[in-house]
Amino acid sequence: MVNVMKGVFVECDPAMKQFLLHLDETLALGRKFIIQDLDENHLFISTDIVETLQARVDDLMDRISFPLHEKDP
Amino acid sequence: MSDAKAGRSGPTTSTYALIPKPANLQCMDLQEYLRTRTAETLEKLYNYPTICLAVYRELPEIARQFVIRILFVEQPVPQAVVASWGSQHYAKEQAASTACLTELNVWRVTAIPGGLSAWELCPTFKKNLKIALLGGGKPWSMSHTLEKDSKPRDIAFLDTYAMARWRCVLHYMVGTGSSNKAQDSEGISPDAVRILLHANLMKRDERDGITITRQGFQFLLLDTQSQVWHFMLQYLDTCEERGLSLPDCLSMLFQLSFSTLGRDYSSEGMSPKMLTFLQHLREFGLVFQRKRKEGRFYPTRLALNVTNKHAAVPAVIAEDDKAQESGYIVVETNYRVYAYTDSPLQVAVLGLFTELLYRFPNLVVGVLTRDSVRQALRGGITADQIVSYLEQYSHPNMKLTESAIKSKSPLPPTVVDQIKLWELERNRFTYTEGVVYNQFLSQADFVTLRDYAQSINVLVHMNERTRTMVVTKNGHDDVKRFWKRYSKSGG
Repeated sequence: MVNVMKGVFVECDPAMKQFLLHLDETLALGRKFIIQDLDENHLFISTDIVETLQARVDDLMDRISFPLHEKDP
Repeated sequence: MSDAKAGRSGPTTSTYALIPKPANLQCMDLQEYLRTRTAETLEKLYNYPTICLAVYRELPEIARQFVIRILFVEQPVPQAVVASWGSQHYAKEQAASTACLTELNVWRVTAIPGGLSAWELCPTFKKNLKIALLGGGKPWSMSHTLEKDSKPRDIAFLDTYAMARWRCVLHYMVGTGSSNKAQDSEGISPDAVRILLHANLMKRDERDGITITRQGFQFLLLDTQSQVWHFMLQYLDTCEERGLSLPDCLSMLFQLSFSTLGRDYSSEGMSPKMLTFLQHLREFGLVFQRKRKEGRFYPTRLALNVTNKHAAVPAVIAEDDKAQESGYIVVETNYRVYAYTDSPLQVAVLGLFTELLYRFPNLVVGVLTRDSVRQALRGGITADQIVSYLEQYSHPNMKLTESAIKSKSPLPPTVVDQIKLWELERNRFTYTEGVVYNQFLSQADFVTLRDYAQSINVLVHMNERTRTMVVTKNGHDDVKRFWKRYSKSGG
Protein backbone atom coordinates (compact mmCIF):
# COMPACT_ATOMS: atom_id res chain seq x y z
CA MET A 1 0.00 0.00 0.00
CA VAL A 2 1.16 3.47 -0.66
CA ASN A 3 -0.41 6.83 0.02
CA VAL A 4 -0.41 9.44 -2.75
CA MET A 5 -1.23 13.15 -2.42
CA LYS A 6 -1.01 16.08 -4.82
CA GLY A 7 0.35 19.41 -3.71
CA VAL A 8 3.27 21.75 -3.98
CA PHE A 9 6.85 20.99 -3.05
CA VAL A 10 8.50 23.97 -1.36
CA GLU A 11 12.21 24.53 -1.04
CA CYS A 12 13.36 27.29 1.31
CA ASP A 13 15.85 28.18 4.02
CA PRO A 14 15.32 26.81 7.54
CA ALA A 15 14.19 30.16 8.93
CA MET A 16 11.45 30.53 6.38
CA LYS A 17 10.42 26.94 7.00
CA GLN A 18 9.93 27.69 10.67
CA PHE A 19 7.79 30.65 9.70
CA LEU A 20 5.59 28.38 7.58
CA LEU A 21 5.30 25.88 10.43
CA HIS A 22 4.26 28.72 12.69
CA LEU A 23 1.58 29.89 10.24
CA ASP A 24 0.35 26.33 10.02
CA GLU A 25 0.17 25.78 13.79
CA THR A 26 -1.54 29.05 14.59
CA LEU A 27 -4.00 28.64 11.72
CA ALA A 28 -3.00 32.11 10.59
CA LEU A 29 -4.22 31.44 7.08
CA GLY A 30 -7.49 30.04 8.33
CA ARG A 31 -6.53 26.39 8.19
CA LYS A 32 -3.74 23.91 8.14
CA PHE A 33 -1.95 23.74 4.82
CA ILE A 34 1.19 21.68 5.36
CA ILE A 35 0.69 18.19 4.05
CA GLN A 36 4.05 16.88 5.07
CA ASP A 37 7.19 18.14 6.72
CA LEU A 38 9.96 16.62 4.62
CA ASP A 39 13.19 17.94 6.11
CA GLU A 40 14.70 21.18 7.28
CA ASN A 41 14.66 22.78 3.85
CA HIS A 42 11.62 21.16 2.32
CA LEU A 43 7.89 21.08 2.86
CA PHE A 44 4.93 19.72 1.01
CA ILE A 45 1.87 21.98 1.09
CA SER A 46 -1.52 22.20 -0.55
CA THR A 47 -1.70 23.89 -3.93
CA ASP A 48 -4.53 26.36 -3.34
CA ILE A 49 -2.76 28.13 -0.48
CA VAL A 50 0.28 29.28 -2.44
CA GLU A 51 -0.99 32.71 -3.42
CA THR A 52 -2.21 33.60 0.06
CA LEU A 53 1.04 32.36 1.45
CA GLN A 54 3.10 34.45 -0.93
CA ALA A 55 1.19 37.59 0.07
CA ARG A 56 1.67 36.74 3.72
CA VAL A 57 5.40 36.28 3.30
CA ASP A 58 5.61 39.61 1.48
CA ASP A 59 3.86 41.18 4.48
CA LEU A 60 6.39 39.66 6.81
CA MET A 61 9.28 40.94 4.76
CA ASP A 62 7.74 44.41 4.77
CA ARG A 63 7.41 44.35 8.54
CA ILE A 64 10.93 43.21 9.27
CA SER A 65 12.68 45.67 6.99
CA PHE A 66 13.80 49.10 8.10
CA PRO A 67 14.45 52.13 5.97
CA LEU A 68 18.15 52.35 5.31
CA HIS A 69 18.35 56.01 4.56
CA GLU A 70 16.83 59.20 5.78
CA LYS A 71 14.83 61.07 3.25
CA ASP A 72 15.68 64.49 4.63
CA PRO A 73 19.31 65.39 4.84
CA MET B 1 22.84 14.06 2.41
CA SER B 2 21.68 12.19 -0.62
CA ASP B 3 18.10 13.38 -0.28
CA ALA B 4 19.13 16.99 -0.24
CA LYS B 5 21.03 16.37 -3.43
CA ALA B 6 18.11 14.66 -5.07
CA GLY B 7 16.02 17.65 -4.15
CA ARG B 8 18.31 20.09 -5.83
CA SER B 9 19.04 18.07 -8.90
CA GLY B 10 15.37 17.47 -9.55
CA PRO B 11 14.00 18.87 -12.75
CA THR B 12 13.47 22.57 -12.36
CA THR B 13 11.47 23.13 -15.49
CA SER B 14 8.16 23.29 -13.70
CA THR B 15 9.50 25.17 -10.72
CA TYR B 16 8.00 28.48 -11.69
CA ALA B 17 4.97 27.17 -13.49
CA LEU B 18 2.88 27.76 -10.44
CA ILE B 19 3.36 31.47 -9.97
CA PRO B 20 2.66 33.05 -13.32
CA LYS B 21 5.93 34.68 -14.23
CA PRO B 22 5.74 37.81 -16.31
CA ALA B 23 6.98 37.29 -19.80
CA ASN B 24 10.28 39.07 -19.94
CA LEU B 25 11.52 41.10 -22.79
CA GLN B 26 13.39 38.91 -25.21
CA CYS B 27 15.94 40.76 -27.19
CA MET B 28 17.13 38.58 -30.04
CA ASP B 29 20.21 39.27 -32.08
CA LEU B 30 20.27 38.69 -35.81
CA GLN B 31 21.29 35.06 -35.53
CA GLU B 32 18.60 34.19 -33.05
CA TYR B 33 16.09 36.03 -35.16
CA LEU B 34 17.02 34.11 -38.30
CA ARG B 35 17.02 30.85 -36.42
CA THR B 36 13.35 31.33 -35.64
CA ARG B 37 12.50 31.78 -39.32
CA THR B 38 11.48 28.83 -41.47
CA ALA B 39 13.83 27.32 -44.04
CA GLU B 40 11.74 28.75 -46.89
CA THR B 41 11.95 32.26 -45.48
CA LEU B 42 15.70 31.92 -45.10
CA GLU B 43 15.96 30.73 -48.67
CA LYS B 44 14.04 33.80 -49.79
CA LEU B 45 16.20 36.08 -47.66
CA TYR B 46 19.38 34.65 -49.12
CA ASN B 47 18.31 35.90 -52.53
CA TYR B 48 19.59 39.29 -51.42
CA PRO B 49 23.35 39.83 -51.44
CA THR B 50 23.08 42.41 -48.64
CA ILE B 51 21.38 39.96 -46.34
CA CYS B 52 24.01 37.32 -47.12
CA LEU B 53 26.73 39.80 -46.29
CA ALA B 54 25.06 40.79 -43.03
CA VAL B 55 24.61 37.16 -42.05
CA TYR B 56 28.20 36.41 -42.94
CA ARG B 57 29.45 39.27 -40.79
CA GLU B 58 27.49 38.07 -37.80
CA LEU B 59 28.76 34.48 -37.94
CA PRO B 60 31.22 33.23 -35.32
CA GLU B 61 34.82 33.66 -36.40
CA ILE B 62 35.44 29.99 -37.15
CA ALA B 63 32.23 29.76 -39.13
CA ARG B 64 33.37 32.70 -41.25
CA GLN B 65 36.61 30.85 -41.94
CA PHE B 66 34.71 27.78 -43.06
CA VAL B 67 32.47 29.76 -45.36
CA ILE B 68 35.23 31.73 -47.01
CA ARG B 69 37.34 28.59 -47.51
CA ILE B 70 34.64 26.67 -49.30
CA LEU B 71 33.01 29.60 -51.04
CA PHE B 72 34.93 29.05 -54.24
CA VAL B 73 35.13 25.28 -54.07
CA GLU B 74 32.76 24.01 -56.71
CA GLN B 75 32.07 20.67 -55.07
CA PRO B 76 30.99 19.49 -51.62
CA VAL B 77 33.79 19.30 -49.07
CA PRO B 78 33.96 16.16 -46.90
CA GLN B 79 33.06 16.85 -43.26
CA ALA B 80 36.30 15.26 -42.11
CA VAL B 81 38.28 17.76 -44.15
CA VAL B 82 36.42 20.71 -42.67
CA ALA B 83 36.91 19.31 -39.18
CA SER B 84 40.67 18.97 -39.77
CA TRP B 85 41.06 22.70 -40.39
CA GLY B 86 41.00 23.53 -36.72
CA SER B 87 43.04 22.14 -33.88
CA GLN B 88 41.54 19.64 -31.47
CA HIS B 89 41.93 22.28 -28.83
CA TYR B 90 38.99 24.25 -30.14
CA ALA B 91 36.72 21.33 -30.93
CA LYS B 92 33.94 22.90 -28.91
CA GLU B 93 34.00 26.20 -30.78
CA GLN B 94 34.17 24.33 -34.05
CA ALA B 95 31.16 22.25 -33.19
CA ALA B 96 29.27 25.42 -32.26
CA SER B 97 30.19 27.05 -35.55
CA THR B 98 29.18 23.97 -37.51
CA ALA B 99 25.84 23.86 -35.75
CA CYS B 100 25.33 27.57 -36.34
CA LEU B 101 25.92 27.26 -40.08
CA THR B 102 23.52 24.35 -40.27
CA GLU B 103 20.81 26.11 -38.30
CA LEU B 104 21.02 29.19 -40.45
CA ASN B 105 20.79 27.05 -43.57
CA VAL B 106 24.05 28.46 -44.80
CA TRP B 107 25.30 25.00 -45.61
CA ARG B 108 23.83 21.53 -45.67
CA VAL B 109 24.94 17.95 -45.60
CA THR B 110 25.19 16.05 -48.85
CA ALA B 111 26.50 12.61 -49.64
CA ILE B 112 29.46 12.32 -51.94
CA PRO B 113 30.57 9.18 -53.76
CA GLY B 114 32.34 6.86 -51.38
CA GLY B 115 29.67 7.12 -48.71
CA LEU B 116 31.17 10.11 -46.95
CA SER B 117 29.02 12.99 -45.87
CA ALA B 118 30.12 16.41 -46.96
CA TRP B 119 29.26 20.06 -46.50
CA GLU B 120 27.95 22.11 -49.34
CA LEU B 121 27.04 25.77 -49.17
CA CYS B 122 23.43 26.46 -49.92
CA PRO B 123 23.54 27.56 -53.62
CA THR B 124 21.48 30.72 -53.13
CA PHE B 125 23.64 31.85 -50.26
CA LYS B 126 26.80 31.00 -52.15
CA LYS B 127 25.80 32.88 -55.26
CA ASN B 128 24.69 35.99 -53.41
CA LEU B 129 27.57 36.16 -50.98
CA LYS B 130 29.88 36.08 -53.98
CA ILE B 131 27.94 38.96 -55.46
CA ALA B 132 28.19 40.86 -52.20
CA LEU B 133 31.93 40.34 -52.00
CA LEU B 134 32.88 40.64 -55.65
CA GLY B 135 30.22 42.87 -57.07
CA GLY B 136 27.93 42.17 -59.97
CA GLY B 137 24.29 41.28 -59.95
CA LYS B 138 21.54 43.84 -59.89
CA PRO B 139 22.48 47.31 -58.74
CA TRP B 140 21.53 48.15 -55.18
CA SER B 141 18.32 50.04 -55.07
CA MET B 142 20.09 52.63 -52.98
CA SER B 143 22.52 54.58 -55.09
CA HIS B 144 24.57 57.69 -54.62
CA THR B 145 22.94 60.84 -55.79
CA LEU B 146 24.27 62.26 -58.99
CA GLU B 147 24.14 65.94 -58.24
CA LYS B 148 25.50 67.38 -55.04
CA ASP B 149 23.13 68.41 -52.29
CA SER B 150 22.88 72.17 -52.27
CA LYS B 151 22.52 72.16 -48.48
CA PRO B 152 24.41 69.12 -47.26
CA ARG B 153 23.78 67.96 -43.70
CA ASP B 154 26.67 67.11 -41.45
CA ILE B 155 27.02 64.23 -39.05
CA ALA B 156 26.26 66.30 -35.95
CA PHE B 157 23.00 67.41 -37.45
CA LEU B 158 22.04 63.85 -38.35
CA ASP B 159 22.84 62.63 -34.85
CA THR B 160 20.70 65.28 -33.24
CA TYR B 161 17.92 64.60 -35.65
CA ALA B 162 18.03 60.83 -35.14
CA MET B 163 18.06 61.08 -31.37
CA ALA B 164 15.21 63.58 -31.39
CA ARG B 165 13.09 61.28 -33.51
CA TRP B 166 13.95 58.21 -31.48
CA ARG B 167 13.25 59.99 -28.20
CA CYS B 168 9.87 60.85 -29.60
CA VAL B 169 9.02 57.17 -29.61
CA LEU B 170 10.40 56.69 -26.10
CA HIS B 171 8.61 59.78 -24.85
CA TYR B 172 5.41 58.48 -26.19
CA MET B 173 5.97 55.26 -24.28
CA VAL B 174 6.45 56.93 -20.92
CA GLY B 175 3.58 59.25 -21.68
CA THR B 176 5.51 62.45 -21.38
CA GLY B 177 5.08 63.28 -25.03
CA SER B 178 1.84 65.07 -24.43
CA SER B 179 3.15 67.28 -21.66
CA ASN B 180 5.59 69.11 -23.85
CA LYS B 181 3.84 69.38 -27.12
CA ALA B 182 5.99 72.27 -28.18
CA GLN B 183 9.12 70.15 -28.24
CA ASP B 184 7.77 67.15 -30.08
CA SER B 185 5.05 68.71 -32.08
CA GLU B 186 4.83 65.76 -34.42
CA GLY B 187 4.27 62.96 -31.95
CA ILE B 188 4.22 59.51 -33.44
CA SER B 189 2.03 57.99 -36.09
CA PRO B 190 -0.70 55.42 -35.55
CA ASP B 191 1.56 52.98 -37.37
CA ALA B 192 4.27 53.27 -34.77
CA VAL B 193 1.70 52.88 -32.02
CA ARG B 194 0.54 49.71 -33.68
CA ILE B 195 4.08 48.34 -33.62
CA LEU B 196 4.45 49.18 -29.95
CA LEU B 197 1.19 47.38 -29.25
CA HIS B 198 2.22 44.42 -31.36
CA ALA B 199 5.56 44.20 -29.60
CA ASN B 200 3.77 44.07 -26.26
CA LEU B 201 5.71 47.12 -25.21
CA MET B 202 2.42 48.89 -24.68
CA LYS B 203 -1.06 47.62 -24.21
CA ARG B 204 -4.51 48.98 -24.75
CA ASP B 205 -6.34 49.41 -21.51
CA GLU B 206 -10.10 49.81 -21.29
CA ARG B 207 -9.73 52.53 -18.73
CA ASP B 208 -6.62 54.53 -19.43
CA GLY B 209 -6.23 54.05 -23.15
CA ILE B 210 -2.75 52.92 -24.15
CA THR B 211 -0.34 52.20 -21.32
CA ILE B 212 3.14 50.86 -21.07
CA THR B 213 3.73 47.20 -20.16
CA ARG B 214 6.45 45.64 -18.06
CA GLN B 215 8.25 44.65 -21.24
CA GLY B 216 8.03 48.29 -22.17
CA PHE B 217 9.80 49.31 -18.99
CA GLN B 218 12.53 46.80 -19.66
CA PHE B 219 12.78 48.14 -23.18
CA LEU B 220 13.41 51.64 -21.82
CA LEU B 221 16.36 50.39 -19.80
CA LEU B 222 18.14 49.00 -22.87
CA ASP B 223 20.73 51.01 -24.70
CA THR B 224 19.61 52.83 -27.81
CA GLN B 225 21.10 50.41 -30.28
CA SER B 226 19.38 47.39 -28.76
CA GLN B 227 16.18 49.37 -28.62
CA VAL B 228 16.32 50.19 -32.31
CA TRP B 229 17.09 46.62 -33.26
CA HIS B 230 14.35 45.18 -31.09
CA PHE B 231 11.89 47.70 -32.41
CA MET B 232 12.82 46.97 -36.04
CA LEU B 233 12.41 43.24 -35.49
CA GLN B 234 8.92 43.87 -34.23
CA TYR B 235 8.31 46.12 -37.19
CA LEU B 236 9.44 43.38 -39.56
CA ASP B 237 7.03 40.98 -37.89
CA THR B 238 4.16 43.16 -38.92
CA CYS B 239 5.46 44.29 -42.28
CA GLU B 240 3.76 41.48 -44.18
CA GLU B 241 0.43 42.73 -42.89
CA ARG B 242 0.96 46.10 -44.40
CA GLY B 243 1.86 44.58 -47.73
CA LEU B 244 5.62 44.98 -47.55
CA SER B 245 7.75 41.96 -48.22
CA LEU B 246 10.01 40.90 -45.38
CA PRO B 247 13.06 40.12 -47.55
CA ASP B 248 12.78 43.49 -49.29
CA CYS B 249 12.59 45.38 -46.01
CA LEU B 250 15.37 43.42 -44.37
CA SER B 251 17.60 43.85 -47.38
CA MET B 252 16.92 47.60 -47.38
CA LEU B 253 17.67 47.78 -43.67
CA PHE B 254 21.02 46.08 -44.20
CA GLN B 255 21.85 48.30 -47.16
CA LEU B 256 21.33 51.23 -44.86
CA SER B 257 23.45 49.65 -42.20
CA PHE B 258 26.33 49.26 -44.68
CA SER B 259 26.06 52.83 -45.89
CA THR B 260 28.29 55.74 -44.96
CA LEU B 261 27.29 58.21 -42.31
CA GLY B 262 26.97 61.75 -43.54
CA ARG B 263 26.46 60.86 -47.21
CA ASP B 264 23.32 61.31 -49.13
CA TYR B 265 21.73 58.55 -51.16
CA SER B 266 19.14 58.63 -53.85
CA SER B 267 15.82 56.88 -53.52
CA GLU B 268 15.42 56.78 -57.26
CA GLY B 269 14.46 53.41 -58.62
CA MET B 270 12.91 52.26 -55.35
CA SER B 271 9.56 50.58 -55.61
CA PRO B 272 6.59 52.44 -54.11
CA LYS B 273 6.51 49.90 -51.30
CA MET B 274 10.10 50.54 -50.40
CA LEU B 275 9.38 54.25 -50.41
CA THR B 276 6.68 53.58 -47.81
CA PHE B 277 9.22 51.66 -45.77
CA LEU B 278 11.61 54.57 -46.13
CA GLN B 279 8.97 56.90 -44.74
CA HIS B 280 8.58 54.65 -41.71
CA LEU B 281 12.32 54.60 -41.18
CA ARG B 282 12.25 58.36 -41.46
CA GLU B 283 9.69 58.57 -38.72
CA PHE B 284 11.85 56.60 -36.29
CA GLY B 285 14.91 58.60 -37.17
CA LEU B 286 16.82 55.91 -39.05
CA VAL B 287 17.03 58.10 -42.11
CA PHE B 288 16.78 61.82 -42.63
CA GLN B 289 14.84 63.30 -45.49
CA ARG B 290 14.07 66.93 -45.84
CA LYS B 291 10.82 66.46 -47.63
CA ARG B 292 8.71 63.39 -48.20
CA LYS B 293 8.98 63.68 -51.96
CA GLU B 294 12.65 64.49 -52.08
CA GLY B 295 14.59 61.78 -53.86
CA ARG B 296 17.47 62.11 -51.44
CA PHE B 297 18.01 60.78 -47.97
CA TYR B 298 20.73 60.45 -45.35
CA PRO B 299 21.09 57.34 -43.21
CA THR B 300 21.66 58.22 -39.55
CA ARG B 301 23.71 56.54 -36.90
CA LEU B 302 20.69 54.59 -35.71
CA ALA B 303 20.56 52.74 -39.01
CA LEU B 304 24.27 52.03 -39.17
CA ASN B 305 25.33 48.72 -37.73
CA VAL B 306 21.77 48.11 -36.75
CA THR B 307 22.46 44.39 -36.43
CA ASN B 308 25.61 44.63 -34.48
CA LYS B 309 25.05 45.08 -30.78
CA HIS B 310 28.72 45.13 -29.94
CA ALA B 311 29.62 47.51 -32.71
CA ALA B 312 32.69 49.55 -32.09
CA VAL B 313 30.78 52.73 -32.85
CA PRO B 314 28.91 53.50 -29.69
CA ALA B 315 26.04 55.83 -30.23
CA VAL B 316 28.16 58.92 -30.17
CA ILE B 317 25.75 61.73 -29.84
CA ALA B 318 26.23 65.33 -30.82
CA GLU B 319 28.61 67.13 -28.49
CA ASP B 320 26.19 69.06 -26.34
CA ASP B 321 24.00 66.04 -25.86
CA LYS B 322 26.96 63.87 -25.16
CA ALA B 323 27.52 64.86 -21.56
CA GLN B 324 23.91 64.18 -20.84
CA GLU B 325 23.86 60.90 -22.70
CA SER B 326 27.07 59.43 -21.43
CA GLY B 327 26.54 60.14 -17.78
CA TYR B 328 24.31 62.22 -15.64
CA ILE B 329 23.59 60.06 -12.62
CA VAL B 330 25.39 60.25 -9.31
CA VAL B 331 24.62 57.56 -6.76
CA GLU B 332 25.79 58.03 -3.19
CA THR B 333 26.36 55.40 -0.55
CA ASN B 334 23.33 56.70 1.33
CA TYR B 335 21.14 55.59 -1.59
CA ARG B 336 20.60 59.09 -2.82
CA VAL B 337 20.49 59.55 -6.56
CA TYR B 338 21.27 62.84 -8.24
CA ALA B 339 20.47 63.05 -11.91
CA TYR B 340 21.69 66.05 -13.85
CA THR B 341 19.09 66.09 -16.53
CA ASP B 342 16.16 68.06 -17.79
CA SER B 343 14.85 65.34 -20.07
CA PRO B 344 11.41 64.17 -18.97
CA LEU B 345 12.21 60.81 -20.49
CA GLN B 346 15.25 60.23 -18.31
CA VAL B 347 13.36 61.40 -15.27
CA ALA B 348 10.53 59.04 -16.08
CA VAL B 349 12.89 56.10 -16.47
CA LEU B 350 14.62 56.96 -13.22
CA GLY B 351 11.23 57.24 -11.57
CA LEU B 352 10.64 53.58 -12.32
CA PHE B 353 12.92 52.48 -9.53
CA THR B 354 13.69 55.54 -7.40
CA GLU B 355 11.56 57.67 -5.18
CA LEU B 356 11.91 61.17 -6.55
CA LEU B 357 12.28 63.85 -3.89
CA TYR B 358 13.13 67.17 -5.49
CA ARG B 359 13.13 68.49 -8.97
CA PHE B 360 15.15 71.44 -10.19
CA PRO B 361 15.54 72.82 -13.69
CA ASN B 362 18.60 70.72 -14.42
CA LEU B 363 18.70 68.32 -11.51
CA VAL B 364 16.50 65.65 -10.05
CA VAL B 365 17.12 64.20 -6.61
CA GLY B 366 15.74 60.85 -5.65
CA VAL B 367 16.43 58.05 -3.29
CA LEU B 368 16.56 54.30 -3.85
CA THR B 369 14.25 52.76 -1.28
CA ARG B 370 13.23 49.24 -0.70
CA ASP B 371 9.71 50.14 -1.74
CA SER B 372 10.69 51.87 -4.93
CA VAL B 373 13.00 49.07 -5.99
CA ARG B 374 10.45 46.42 -5.10
CA GLN B 375 7.91 48.31 -7.14
CA ALA B 376 10.23 48.00 -10.12
CA LEU B 377 10.94 44.33 -9.38
CA ARG B 378 7.23 43.65 -9.24
CA GLY B 379 6.97 45.37 -12.60
CA GLY B 380 9.28 42.73 -14.01
CA ILE B 381 12.47 44.76 -14.06
CA THR B 382 15.42 42.80 -12.71
CA ALA B 383 18.03 44.03 -10.26
CA ASP B 384 20.67 43.58 -12.94
CA GLN B 385 18.79 45.85 -15.29
CA ILE B 386 18.58 48.58 -12.66
CA VAL B 387 22.25 48.28 -11.83
CA SER B 388 23.32 48.24 -15.46
CA TYR B 389 21.19 51.28 -16.21
CA LEU B 390 22.75 53.20 -13.34
CA GLU B 391 26.20 52.08 -14.42
CA GLN B 392 25.63 52.95 -18.03
CA TYR B 393 24.58 56.50 -17.25
CA SER B 394 26.70 57.18 -14.20
CA HIS B 395 28.34 60.56 -14.11
CA PRO B 396 31.98 60.69 -15.25
CA ASN B 397 32.98 61.87 -11.76
CA MET B 398 31.59 58.66 -10.31
CA LYS B 399 34.27 56.76 -12.16
CA LEU B 400 36.98 58.66 -10.31
CA THR B 401 35.99 57.54 -6.82
CA GLU B 402 38.23 55.18 -4.97
CA SER B 403 35.84 52.26 -5.03
CA ALA B 404 35.21 52.70 -8.73
CA ILE B 405 38.89 52.46 -9.52
CA LYS B 406 39.26 49.30 -7.47
CA SER B 407 36.17 47.57 -8.73
CA LYS B 408 34.76 47.78 -12.20
CA SER B 409 31.49 49.39 -11.28
CA PRO B 410 31.28 53.13 -10.67
CA LEU B 411 28.43 52.58 -8.23
CA PRO B 412 28.97 52.23 -4.48
CA PRO B 413 29.16 48.48 -3.76
CA THR B 414 26.72 48.71 -0.87
CA VAL B 415 24.03 50.06 -3.14
CA VAL B 416 24.60 47.42 -5.79
CA ASP B 417 24.54 44.67 -3.18
CA GLN B 418 21.43 46.02 -1.54
CA ILE B 419 19.52 46.18 -4.81
CA LYS B 420 20.45 42.57 -5.44
CA LEU B 421 19.47 41.61 -1.90
CA TRP B 422 16.09 43.23 -2.36
CA GLU B 423 15.63 41.05 -5.39
CA LEU B 424 16.76 37.88 -3.64
CA GLU B 425 14.45 38.58 -0.76
CA ARG B 426 11.51 38.06 -3.06
CA ASN B 427 12.71 34.62 -4.07
CA ARG B 428 13.11 32.82 -0.79
CA PHE B 429 10.90 29.99 -1.88
CA THR B 430 10.90 27.81 -4.91
CA TYR B 431 7.66 26.05 -5.61
CA THR B 432 7.36 22.87 -7.61
CA GLU B 433 4.02 21.31 -8.27
CA GLY B 434 4.22 17.64 -7.52
CA VAL B 435 2.89 14.54 -5.87
CA VAL B 436 4.06 13.06 -2.60
CA TYR B 437 4.27 9.31 -2.01
CA ASN B 438 4.45 8.08 1.55
CA GLN B 439 3.43 5.26 3.90
CA PHE B 440 5.24 2.59 1.95
CA LEU B 441 4.82 -0.80 3.58
CA SER B 442 8.28 -2.06 2.86
CA GLN B 443 11.69 -0.61 2.17
CA ALA B 444 11.89 -2.70 -1.02
CA ASP B 445 8.75 -1.10 -2.44
CA PHE B 446 10.10 2.33 -1.68
CA VAL B 447 13.48 1.67 -3.22
CA THR B 448 11.98 0.20 -6.39
CA LEU B 449 9.65 3.11 -6.93
CA ARG B 450 12.29 5.66 -6.08
CA ASP B 451 14.77 4.13 -8.49
CA TYR B 452 12.18 4.09 -11.21
CA ALA B 453 11.28 7.74 -10.65
CA GLN B 454 14.94 8.62 -10.68
CA SER B 455 15.55 6.71 -13.88
CA ILE B 456 12.89 8.67 -15.77
CA ASN B 457 14.11 11.88 -14.19
CA VAL B 458 10.98 12.96 -12.36
CA LEU B 459 12.17 12.56 -8.77
CA VAL B 460 12.17 15.87 -6.93
CA HIS B 461 12.90 14.81 -3.40
CA MET B 462 13.20 11.67 -1.34
CA ASN B 463 13.89 10.63 2.19
CA GLU B 464 14.85 7.05 2.73
CA ARG B 465 14.33 7.05 6.48
CA THR B 466 10.72 8.22 6.38
CA ARG B 467 10.11 6.44 3.07
CA THR B 468 8.80 9.55 1.43
CA MET B 469 9.33 10.73 -2.10
CA VAL B 470 8.08 13.59 -4.26
CA VAL B 471 7.79 13.37 -8.02
CA THR B 472 6.88 16.12 -10.48
CA LYS B 473 3.31 16.57 -11.58
CA ASN B 474 4.11 15.45 -15.12
CA GLY B 475 5.92 12.37 -13.91
CA HIS B 476 3.09 11.20 -11.68
CA ASP B 477 1.18 9.30 -14.37
CA ASP B 478 4.23 7.29 -15.37
CA VAL B 479 5.11 6.44 -11.81
CA LYS B 480 1.52 5.48 -11.04
CA ARG B 481 1.41 3.14 -14.01
CA PHE B 482 4.70 1.59 -12.99
CA TRP B 483 3.47 1.13 -9.44
CA LYS B 484 0.31 -0.65 -10.60
CA ARG B 485 2.31 -3.01 -12.79
CA TYR B 486 4.82 -3.58 -10.02
CA SER B 487 2.28 -4.27 -7.27
CA LYS B 488 0.32 -6.60 -9.55
CA SER B 489 3.34 -8.66 -10.42
CA GLY B 490 4.50 -8.59 -6.83
CA GLY B 491 1.12 -9.55 -5.35
